[in-house]
Parts: sequence; structure tokens; C-alpha cells
Amino acid sequence: MRLDGREVEPFGSLLDTILAAGIPLPHLCKDDALPVIGACRTCLVEADGRVVAACSTPATGVSECLTHTGRVTRIRRGVLELTRAMQSGPPSQTGGPCSAETAAALAAHGIEQARYLPRNAAYSDSSNTFFSFHQDACILCGRCTAACQDLQHIGAIGIAGRGLGARITAGTGGPLSASICTSCGSCVAACPTTALSPKE
Amino acid sequence: MARTVSTTCPYCGVGCGLILNVDDAGRIRWVDDDPANPSSVGMLCVKGRFGTSFVHHPDRLTTPLIRKDGGLKEAGWDEALNLVAERLSAHRGYFGSFASAKATNEDAFIQQKFVRLIMGTNNIDHCTRLCHSPSVEAMLQQLGSGATSNSYVDFEEASCVVVIGCDPGSNHPVIASRIRRAVDTRGTKLVVINPRRIELCDRASLFLQPRAGTDVALFNGVARAILDEGIEDREFIAARTEGFRDFLAAIQEATVDECAARCGVPAEDLRTAARLFARPPARAGQPAGLRPGSCLLWGMGITQHTQGTDNAHALLNLALLAGQLGRPGCGVSPLRGQNNVQGCGDAGCIPDSLPGYQPYDAPVFARFEDHWGGPLPRQPGIKATDMVERIATGDIRAMYIVGENPLLSEPNLRHATGLIRALDFLVVQDLFLHETAELADVVLPAASFAEKDGTFTNSERRVQRVRPAIAAVGASRPDWEIICDLARRMAPAAGVDPRQFGHATSAEVFAELARLTPQLRGLSHARLDTAGGIQWPCPEAGHPGTRFLYAESFPRGLARFTPVRQAAEADETPNPDYPIVLNTGRILYHWHGGTITRRVAGLMARVDTVPVAIHPADASVAGIAEGDEVVVLSRRGKMSGRAVLTGGVQPGNIFVPFVKLQDQAANFLTNNVYDEQSRIPEYKVCAVRVEKKRERASGPARRD
Repeated sequence: MRLDGREVEPFGSLLDTILAAGIPLPHLCKDDALPVIGACRTCLVEADGRVVAACSTPATGVSECLTHTGRVTRIRRGVLELTRAMQSGPPSQTGGPCSAETAAALAAHGIEQARYLPRNAAYSDSSNTFFSFHQDACILCGRCTAACQDLQHIGAIGIAGRGLGARITAGTGGPLSASICTSCGSCVAACPTTALSPKE
Repeated sequence: MARTVSTTCPYCGVGCGLILNVDDAGRIRWVDDDPANPSSVGMLCVKGRFGTSFVHHPDRLTTPLIRKDGGLKEAGWDEALNLVAERLSAHRGYFGSFASAKATNEDAFIQQKFVRLIMGTNNIDHCTRLCHSPSVEAMLQQLGSGATSNSYVDFEEASCVVVIGCDPGSNHPVIASRIRRAVDTRGTKLVVINPRRIELCDRASLFLQPRAGTDVALFNGVARAILDEGIEDREFIAARTEGFRDFLAAIQEATVDECAARCGVPAEDLRTAARLFARPPARAGQPAGLRPGSCLLWGMGITQHTQGTDNAHALLNLALLAGQLGRPGCGVSPLRGQNNVQGCGDAGCIPDSLPGYQPYDAPVFARFEDHWGGPLPRQPGIKATDMVERIATGDIRAMYIVGENPLLSEPNLRHATGLIRALDFLVVQDLFLHETAELADVVLPAASFAEKDGTFTNSERRVQRVRPAIAAVGASRPDWEIICDLARRMAPAAGVDPRQFGHATSAEVFAELARLTPQLRGLSHARLDTAGGIQWPCPEAGHPGTRFLYAESFPRGLARFTPVRQAAEADETPNPDYPIVLNTGRILYHWHGGTITRRVAGLMARVDTVPVAIHPADASVAGIAEGDEVVVLSRRGKMSGRAVLTGGVQPGNIFVPFVKLQDQAANFLTNNVYDEQSRIPEYKVCAVRVEKKRERASGPARRD
């Protein structure tokens, strides 16, 4: 296939092929160790003229992929601005190992301030001894719930509610400490923001 | 400089890969999982992720201590080691040593070499005596090797997983995750056999809840059901085993219904278990042409009984009867409790064989004596539990205890404390001044996993690298270095060339271990650094390692059926004074006796008192409510804890984890009686009484 004008060998998803070619592309909901989620839409690229999420598009069958055309960069920037607006609070300084990914993607697209009104996202849960959850940094990418369910097969956390009311919850909405959470920390390791962050 | 170091978890035997993130000040800030590690595949549990701060705890020993005027006083290494050398030399013939299943293979190898070559005795053992010695004993007799036969990946490729007498959700959480994944995504059948309900029961197709101490009856009942239905693997039995006729005769002594009545499990459940284990329905994605496999996983619920070895025999008989060995997706797995309990045994820290489980016979002795340049003792050594008991008879007068705390882990602690106090000379080498160290004459500060270079061998026989991440704490040193230093001081008087303990690096120690141990011969630190962890047997440099054993044959040739019959359920059974059966085990947030996890603030914040799980019916009789402080008494001692009311334990039973919190521990209650063959204590059953703690007349009652 042709990727940004280069001839490359397609493998896995378009995202796999793009990253292997050394081309930077945000992919905030895609964790190396976890199945594709396809929630964040920050890896949008043009594949044979259509705008697709690179993470959930098989590379074979695509003959030409463009990652940085004016059109797709503009759309991606729009998605990232909406993502930024999900974060209502100031970004905290400490987080897990992936916590800088969102900020880096925003910076790479020149987004400093939120262009939209932030949503009301004030829920926080510090009941777990080892880490806390702050909704004001959460972008609902789903990596934490995937780590809990698809990696550790515990299923302590999920996403409840819809639209602006959606949030990460433990069990039926109570605190983490009252859920079946085993404090393995895989959710914290997966979080691309500081929403889930280890306690000092 | 902030940096990351790839190493291996110091907690249980799963052997998860850890990526330690160390900050500029040399402290571990965050522990990452390692998706490239084939044993943990990107997972960790709470202890691995959030439980390593003990390495920075202010309680760490930073200098040798010597007992002077009744107290332990700081001393230099020369003074301490010269004293140890002098006193141990005087106790040759009355000496015993405990090695540490938490230390590295290199530490273990040097320690057994010191005990055998310098002290001239085989009195060396480690905590396997307290956990899987019956499993190892039974597997050696029946199969010819004492190791786990398969790999964790086999749990995910099995069509049926049987989890017996263990709670992986508490002690091997990453194994529990792999089992849940198999059930959730592949439809693997899960059978749980446990006297109390464990978390994995939520995913189980079948949960058998036998009476304590009736495991042989249960397994013989399952065997009888397999035979009744004609679903045994006749081809496997004919081609790969011996002793079937005697086994058959023993099994035919009791019907399924009789066995069921004995163990308190419905007969139909025994039959269902038999079908699921012997002929499980194929899981999703089972390769065509490959027979669906079943794995047996077990823990201390099998072993810590006066009939522990019988239990293990009865279980292994099932694997032979159903032919569930030697293929992908099946096998036998005694889950190892400590990070390096497999490796400590592999490296020779057991009283009745040399490194690599090589027997005490002339060619083996000749090879070791040729390498080590000195005579080795011929007489098998004393086992760990007997070493402690034989302090009373004067057979053991001096001990060198490395990385173990017997005054938390031995049964009947009051009795054990009296014995350890009676020693003429005690050296303890560890991270902390724990209960045993407090009684020592000399205490030597050892390095933790985070400061060490070496290898651990996990429960699936995978040898993995341990790498230093932080600077030495005070004057502490790696165990192998301390023992080499001591050995060099004692070597001339023992007629040994001090260069036998002249290793410059732990890689050199490993090279000697590999040279002398056939199943490790193909391994070296350099190879493990390049290739990652490798599973033994790995007999030569080009060998890829071994995922599962017994594909073609057994080390003893044919596997042997060993008929066993249900004996008395336990040494001590309930009576009107002590009407309740005490079962002991683990909880997720603590580690064994708690020497380490008591020094992790987050883990203590989760659980800071010993929970006593009691059935609501028993609680109501005793007037106990959830959260009440209760006192548990046995004929040997008492402890207090916090009541947890749960239907997960059977009426007439309580469950108490053996971690010591607030100076309270289950091992004040447990019974120091032993399985005859393996000398494991009966931690799992003793008779107790539970009372609500009476509030003192003076002063208010304490409420948290």
C-alpha cells in the first residue's frame, strides 16, 4: 500500500502500519496490550478517500492511506478540541505511565485552551487506597474499563450513563472501595490522562 | 537519574515481570507491568504494583548486629562474620540452616554449597517444607519429577481447569485472571474444590465444598466415578503407567455414594466432576485432532494435612487415570507460593538431594566433589520442621536462618519460640529485625530484590532475571556475597580452597549452578538477558526450554499409580470444648506472615487486623456480630481478630489468614503435628473455640 506517498508493507490495522512506519498519530484509546476500542476517534486518517479510524481499519485492502492531509488534520483537530472540552479541570501533574498521551496529542495539534464549554464533570473517588479517580480529567476513552474487563477479567468498573452524563463507575455507581476491584492498578497503567492516578 | 529497570516480582510464585520506575532520588515511584513477559502477559496484582515500597522502609537493617549484654548492638562486617565463623565452627555436627525462597537462585546455590562443603552437613531446607513438600514427594514417587508439569498458558488452552485447595484470587491473582479469561472467552469449564467459597467460584461450573480433611475420599470418589462410567484413558494407562491393578482394587473398596457421604459432597457432583475432568467438552478454539485437556491446580489445601502426601497421591492418580498429562492444555500444577520456591529447591536447598534434585549416589557425589574439591556429607539432612523440633533433643544447637521467619511460619508459635530460644547460637540474615531475628546472636543485613542481581525461577519453571534498581541500603549486601565472605573465612580450617567461594559476580555463581545442574545447563545470565525468561529443562545452549513435561515419557519411565485410602480426617477434631474447625490461608492484601506487607502503608490501610471468617449461624450462637472483636482459642494458644460473617465458610468452621497483624496470628493456634512422609505441619485443621471479646470493666471498649 502507499502510505503518505511511501510504499509500505501493510500489517494488522492501519494504525499498526502507520506507527510501524514511524509516523506520529494520536491513538488515545488504543493500548498496546488491549483489544481495539475505537472510542476516541483521534486516529482518523484518509483511506482511499474515506475518513476512517486507523485503529479499527484492517490495513490489507487499503491501497492508499494519507495521515496528514489538510482535511483529515482539520477533522482530527476538531475531535481533539472536543476531547479537550471533556476535561474540565486543570490537568494534574502526576499520573500513571501513559498519563501524558492526551496532553501530548493536544499539544501536537496546537490546542491549548478549550474552545467549547467544558462539561460538568466533578465526580471524584478517592476511596481506593492506592489510586484515585477524577472525572474532570477523564476523556471516556474506555482503556481503563478494557484493562479491567479484557485484560484482568475482573469487570469492577464500567461506563454508566450516556452523553454528557456518561462516566466511569465502579459496580452500580458506588465507591471503588465497595466494589469487587482488587486494586491491581491495570486501569491506572492504561489511563491516557490523569483521571486515574496513583496516590503518592 | 530517573530510570526504568526490568525485573521479576518478589511476591508469589507466578513470577510477573516488573518494570520499576526509579526517580532521581533512587526511590521506586511506579511499578509498571511488562507485556513482553510471557508469565504475566501485561498483568500485575496489587502487591506487585503497589507493594514494593517495603524496600525503602526505615525498618530496613543497615548494619550487622551482635548480641552484647543482652541487647543487639551495631557491629562491622568483619567483627560479625569472624564471630559467626568462630561459633559455627564450634557447632559442626549440631548445625542446621534455612534457605530463603525469597532470595535468588544464586543465593540459594551458595548457601547449600556452604552448608554441605564448609559445615559438612545436609541439614539445609527451606519453606517448601511448609507448603508443597507433600506434592513434591508424591510427584517424585509417581512421576519422577517434583515440578509443575505445564505452563500458565495451558490453563488458557485447557477445556477444564480444576482448582483445588487454593485461592488464586488471593495468592496468585494473575493466575486467577488467566483462569477467568479462559472461562469468559473460551468457555473453559472451571471446577473449584474447597471447604470454603473463594472468589473464583463466581466463574465455576461446579463447586465442591468437602469437609476438611476428606480429600482422599473425594478424589477416590471421582476416580470411582470415572471408572464406573468407563471414561478412563485406557490407552494412556496401558502405555504410560504401572500399578493400575492395585489402584483399581483400592478404588473398588468404596462406591461413589460412600465416598460422597464421607466427604460431604453430593454424589452427583462427584460424577459431574469426573466427567468434566476426564472428558471435558471442547473449549472454543480447541484445535481439531487434539483431545480437550484438563489442568489440575492445587495449593496448601491439599498439602497442609497430616495426610498431605496421601492427598497429593490421590490427586495425581486422577491425572494418570484420565491421561491428562503431557499434552498442551493439561497437566499438574502445584501453585508455588513464593517467588523462588521452585528455584531454591532446584539450587539444592533440600536435605535429601543435591542441586537439580540429583540423588545421593556415588557418581553424583563424585562429580560434585571433583568440582568442589572436598568431601560431601553422605547422610540425608534433617527437614526444616524437624530441625526446629530437634532443638529439644540437642541434635540442633546452632542455626543460620536466611530470609525466613519461622516464628511466624511455624505451627504452634509458643512452642516454636521456646525451641528457638534454646539454641546455643543463632544467625539470622534478613531485611528486617523480625520475630526470629530478635532472638538471634548475630543479625546480618541482606539486600532486597530491588538491590540484587540474579535470577528467580517461577511456578512454571521459568528462570527469569532479577536486576538491581536501587542502591544498597546501608551496609546491607546480597545474600550470596555475605555467605561467600563467611565461607572464605571458614574454608582453610575446613580444608576447602577459599577460591570455591571466590565468585566475583552473581553471573559467575549462576554459571557454576548451570554447569552442575543438567536441567539448567543451557542457561546463563547473558542468554536470559537476550532471550527473556526460559523454562527448564534447558539442557544445552541451543535448547529453547520446555513448555510442558512428560510428552513422551516420565523421568522414572512409567508413571506409577499409588493407591491411598482415606485416613483420619485430622489429628485434632472438634469436641465440646473446642467445637469449631480452624482453616488457615491467605488474603489478597497481605503476604504470608506479613513481615513484608506490614511495612507497606497502603496494604496495611486495606487490612490492619486479622479477619476471622465465621458462618452467621455459629456467630449468632456465640452472640457475635459483623466487625466484633473475637478471641479464638485452641489447646495451644489464643489470638484475637475481627469477625467477618460469611456463608462462604461452612457451619462449624472458621477461616483465618495466617498473616500476623497487631501481634495476633493464627499460628499461635495451629497444631504442630506432621505428615509422616513430608514432615509438613497440619496448618489446615485444628479445633478451636470462638468467643466474643469481653469488654474490660475499666476503660471504654476500643472501637475503630
